[in-house]
Amino acid sequence: MKFLSYAGTHPASALLLASVLSCTISTGAAQTYQDLLKPNPNNWLQYSGTYDAQRHSLLNQINTGNVANLQASWVYHMTGAVDLEAVPIVVDGVMYVSQWNRVEALDARVGRLIWQYMRPPQTRGWQRGVAVYQGKVYVGTVDSSLIALDAKTGNLIWESKAEGEGRRMQGAAPLIAKGKVIMGGSGRGGGWIQAFDADTGKHAWTWNVIPKPGEKGIESWEGDSWKLGGGPVWNIGSWDPELNTLYWGTGQPGVDFVGDIRKGDNLYTDCIVALDIDTGKMKWYFQNTPHDTHDWDSEEALVLVDAPFKGQMRKLLIQANRNGYFYLLDRTNGKFLQGTPFVSKLTWANGMTEDGRPIVVAGSEPTVEGNRVCPSTAGATNWPSPAYNPDTKLFYLIVQEGCGVTYKSSSNFKAGMPGSGTGYMESPADQENWQLYVKALDLSGKTVWSYMQVDSNHYGPGLLSTAGGIIFAGEQQGQFTALDAKTGKVLWHFNTGGLITAGPMTYSVNGKQYVAIASYANILAFALPDAAVR
Amino acid sequence: MKLSGYLQILAVGLLISLPAAAQRNRGAATPNPNPFAGNADAIAEGREVYNNVCTACHGKDGQAGDRALALGAPARRYQRSTDPEIFDAIQNGIPGTMMPPNRLPENDAWKVTAYIHGLRGTAIDTPAKGDVAHGQEIFSGKGKCIDCHMINGKGGLSGPDLSNIAAIRKYSSIVDALTKVKHRVATDGGSHAQALFPMTTYQPVRVTTRDGKVINGILRNEDSFSLQVFGSDNQLYLFDRDKLKEVYYVPKSLMPTDFDKRLTPTEFQDLMAFLTRLAVPVPQVPRGGGE
Repeated sequence: MKFLSYAGTHPASALLLASVLSCTISTGAAQTYQDLLKPNPNNWLQYSGTYDAQRHSLLNQINTGNVANLQASWVYHMTGAVDLEAVPIVVDGVMYVSQWNRVEALDARVGRLIWQYMRPPQTRGWQRGVAVYQGKVYVGTVDSSLIALDAKTGNLIWESKAEGEGRRMQGAAPLIAKGKVIMGGSGRGGGWIQAFDADTGKHAWTWNVIPKPGEKGIESWEGDSWKLGGGPVWNIGSWDPELNTLYWGTGQPGVDFVGDIRKGDNLYTDCIVALDIDTGKMKWYFQNTPHDTHDWDSEEALVLVDAPFKGQMRKLLIQANRNGYFYLLDRTNGKFLQGTPFVSKLTWANGMTEDGRPIVVAGSEPTVEGNRVCPSTAGATNWPSPAYNPDTKLFYLIVQEGCGVTYKSSSNFKAGMPGSGTGYMESPADQENWQLYVKALDLSGKTVWSYMQVDSNHYGPGLLSTAGGIIFAGEQQGQFTALDAKTGKVLWHFNTGGLITAGPMTYSVNGKQYVAIASYANILAFALPDAAVR
Repeated sequence: MKLSGYLQILAVGLLISLPAAAQRNRGAATPNPNPFAGNADAIAEGREVYNNVCTACHGKDGQAGDRALALGAPARRYQRSTDPEIFDAIQNGIPGTMMPPNRLPENDAWKVTAYIHGLRGTAIDTPAKGDVAHGQEIFSGKGKCIDCHMINGKGGLSGPDLSNIAAIRKYSSIVDALTKVKHRVATDGGSHAQALFPMTTYQPVRVTTRDGKVINGILRNEDSFSLQVFGSDNQLYLFDRDKLKEVYYVPKSLMPTDFDKRLTPTEFQDLMAFLTRLAVPVPQVPRGGGE
């Protein structure tokens, strides 16, 4: 390093430069729980930005008045990676990016590598990031370990296997609160959520999605069909410190598309669950799609907002669900408040009962020949994160319009038969092709604006809201776009050159705000030229 | 841009080019031991055997099994996918399932295997019977296919190159493209794109610039901000969307779909015999000799 050789011959100058350097980058990353509770907006400390999953940054240097001047600051190429889905984490000028079994720390000002951690087997795809806490970087591995790395060096501090046989981690970023690291996953016995001690990695508790005989919820599975499992947990949850409650979504029942071998509601699949972080005990649950036969996992982000509902302030939990409904729940008790469609075509249900149970349209189930349903199995939305702006009081989300055809392999499918018994296709009918939009909804579920992402048709990237009045939205086709949060008007765009399936984030170093996003195998950061900052 | 116009892009696609899929289908490193692979007569015999032995569980033509999975369903992943694996399942059954050992005469089992392979494969796996040379004449003459489509460097520019069509499209899909107005191939819902691919729909567009100039052509690519159009004058046009007055997505494809009427049954069959043999050999990298 040039600086060190220079310093070796000029001690006084070295002291001066070291002082400047320490002002520029602090690699401490000693984030406390208080930092996570009230994050410095210059940092982006967790997957969803904040515990409430609003993905709204208070930074406003980049705003509607100057975003047209935004320029690429740097590109970091993650050699060998594809299809990056991680949201970068930034702590005091250091960015942490990840792929399965691989974490890299970058100088967030310029995109230069500081350290790299790799472990076999190197695996591509569907890994969504790391967490940071008290000088450690936490990530789940494809070999089902939770590992803690030293944030300064990337050295392995400890690793802890997911508790229990055959449990797999699913690539979600961990959530850290009250000294615990919370991770979810799947496995032979069904989905699970586990807590580990953040200092030692010691397993603290497990909550299982699928109940066992004698446990509440088992009555929702006919016979011993609970053994089919399902309910994978593959996304991060949210945390309300005042209510001491974790909120998490669960996935579809086992043998996705074949419902007649598991009659009943199949609890606690396709649910939003509230857990006590100290014990892992469930406080309440809400099932979005009882007896799901279309793979509509309830894994979409759980956004916590305190806002009036019908004239009364409520602690809301908001979710735009893969099944096409926009839900408002009271997060203190799980009470259903509202469920409204957010896609134009929704064929499987005719509204909801007062307690939020969908009124299912007969004949919507998959068939051997294939049955059309809207939305498709890919979902009316999916894991790409929504955002909520407390200034506009609007909820922003990626919407996938379109329909699908769902198949099951035979009319008397049995578990264990060859083939998964599942399959789905995009609908071949006119006007039912998958098409992505960014939509802004008010809390009544009404669409305020809608922006079509031309040629983007599957999953797509998440969103970022900022106090600058901007919604940053990647497009599957590679465009990174800034939209006016009030109107949806395009204010700026940049062709990243790769497929985007990750969510953007923002941070600030040395007084300069950056916006960053992963695109294919690259991380790109954008900032204003100095002259444009106002 | 009009939404209705955009949504028609995929719906009117012509012969879709999927090079990655082609490599997957045809790039097997190990030679196929099936003596009847790609043999049209043997595959037809295999279909007869299949429809006598297998349909009770797997359904006619492998499309809808009542007691076992459909073998040729479009959206399914198969545990037994290679010819030896399929052959083994036919002859020895699949332990732990209802699939019994069938112990067919060995040649029959291989022929059924070739037929099932064809259900899952592309046209090159089940080439049509017919007069290939005559089919080529139809392609260049009466059918006028060559006006729009290129094969091995000869032909028109406004449709997709067909040099490898039998390796990337199923037999039935080629028939549909020649005879059905709506013949879009729906995508497999479980696929998860990992990179940007070329646009493959050959969507006709009429672009009107702000100064009133009108360009008709084929859309080669687009996103929310730009269009790349191959004009009917064989020129490439590069547009910024916000500088255009209108982009009209022509709802009707340029592809005629009445070949079953404009050709006699024999001519149609011969054209199919020609088209279902159009496949570029998979490149083989020579072994050894490196530094």
